[in-house]
Amino acid sequence: MSNLKNLTGPLSANNPVIVQILGICSALAVTVKMEPAFVMGLSVMVVTAFANLVMSLLRNGIPSRIRIIVQLVVIAALVIIVDQFLKAFVYDVSKQLSVYVGLIITNCIIMGRVEAYALGNKPWDSFLDGIGNGLGYAAILLIVAFFRELFGSGTLFGVQIIPQSWYIAEGGFYSNIGIMLFPPMALVIVGAIIWVHRSFNKDLQEK
Amino acid sequence: MAKMNVNSNAYIILYSVVMVVVVAVLLAVTSLSLQERQGENILNEKKQQIVKALGENPETASYGDVVAEAVMLDKSGKKIEGKSDADIFNALGDLTASFEAGEFPIFKAKNGCVVIPVYGAGLWGPVWGYLALESDMDTVKGIVMDHSGETPGLGAEITTSKVQDMFKGKTIFEGNDLVSVSMRKGGATNNHEVDAISGGTKTCDGVNAMIKSGLEGYLPFLNANKSNK
Repeated sequence: MSNLKNLTGPLSANNPVIVQILGICSALAVTVKMEPAFVMGLSVMVVTAFANLVMSLLRNGIPSRIRIIVQLVVIAALVIIVDQFLKAFVYDVSKQLSVYVGLIITNCIIMGRVEAYALGNKPWDSFLDGIGNGLGYAAILLIVAFFRELFGSGTLFGVQIIPQSWYIAEGGFYSNIGIMLFPPMALVIVGAIIWVHRSFNKDLQEK
Repeated sequence: MAKMNVNSNAYIILYSVVMVVVVAVLLAVTSLSLQERQGENILNEKKQQIVKALGENPETASYGDVVAEAVMLDKSGKKIEGKSDADIFNALGDLTASFEAGEFPIFKAKNGCVVIPVYGAGLWGPVWGYLALESDMDTVKGIVMDHSGETPGLGAEITTSKVQDMFKGKTIFEGNDLVSVSMRKGGATNNHEVDAISGGTKTCDGVNAMIKSGLEGYLPFLNANKSNK
């Protein structure tokens, strides 16, 4: 029962991006298209889950004075492994994500969960907590990328959604909204998601 | 077993050493086991860029369809015998060293065009590209450029087709002199110039130097094949 809460809590009520406001930087950077957003979300999920698992397994043996260093080493090693896998199996996407894969190391969500949860809880609970937070992050990325790709490029996952005949060049009335491709629009969309989310979850509203 | 003091100095040092060794082994194993696949991806990307420089769509035309042979030239523009395709693609990985060693890789297309790899320095890091010339060895057929860290929206625009398409149809020779094609601040004024990117001047300067110095190495080859016409 409590296990399930670890998994579902971060999806909405305790979402890392829209409630804890963590990981905004990468959420702005990689959400121009659905595909990199999906791969980024998946990568962050793998890293949070395994960082939580490893740190939880080690939690009783870690000297508290070098705790942060140990966390960084574990997270950095996991991120490098993920990066190597991306380069080997989805080279195009890894090029699009460029530096942001490496920057997963500095994503506050991961260290935040390790520090706040994994160091004080059992491995399985921590693993689920990591998956949950990764999913919460990925969900927001995908929502933002959905709007940005659909209205900015007229495609979803690279597939043309808006009919070609609608475009002005083809004699139609429509053109893609260029500003959707720029990072500020991602911030506006994240803001709009937070607004909608809080109007449904009144207990999250600050007085 | 007696409970160890996890905060003693000896324990901390031991812990750090073991941790570092374990992580190092893990990363080394991952890196080695995936190296081959990553190498293939990188090779494949180079081939696609060569195809793209020749004006073909890499999704429909494969490298083998378009390129007749990859050749290594010496300083005087003569073919160096006994170089395999693998040698030539390896040379692309470190073009500066290859040029210094007097080895100039070139790709001959089936339609008579050639593709010349070029390499230079942008504002923040290396820039590189593939310049395709028509069979007259003068007219630019197309160019593909890439970079590792130019500023998005400014210098990084060199990767867009908008910038690369401007090079098409430009000529690199004025009479018998190699003038190269350059990106000119303020707009192109003749057939050896294209518009520079505003805000990306340093990157454009790097691109200009890259194309010029790259072509100079191939000058004997270009002259020899140009005079055939």
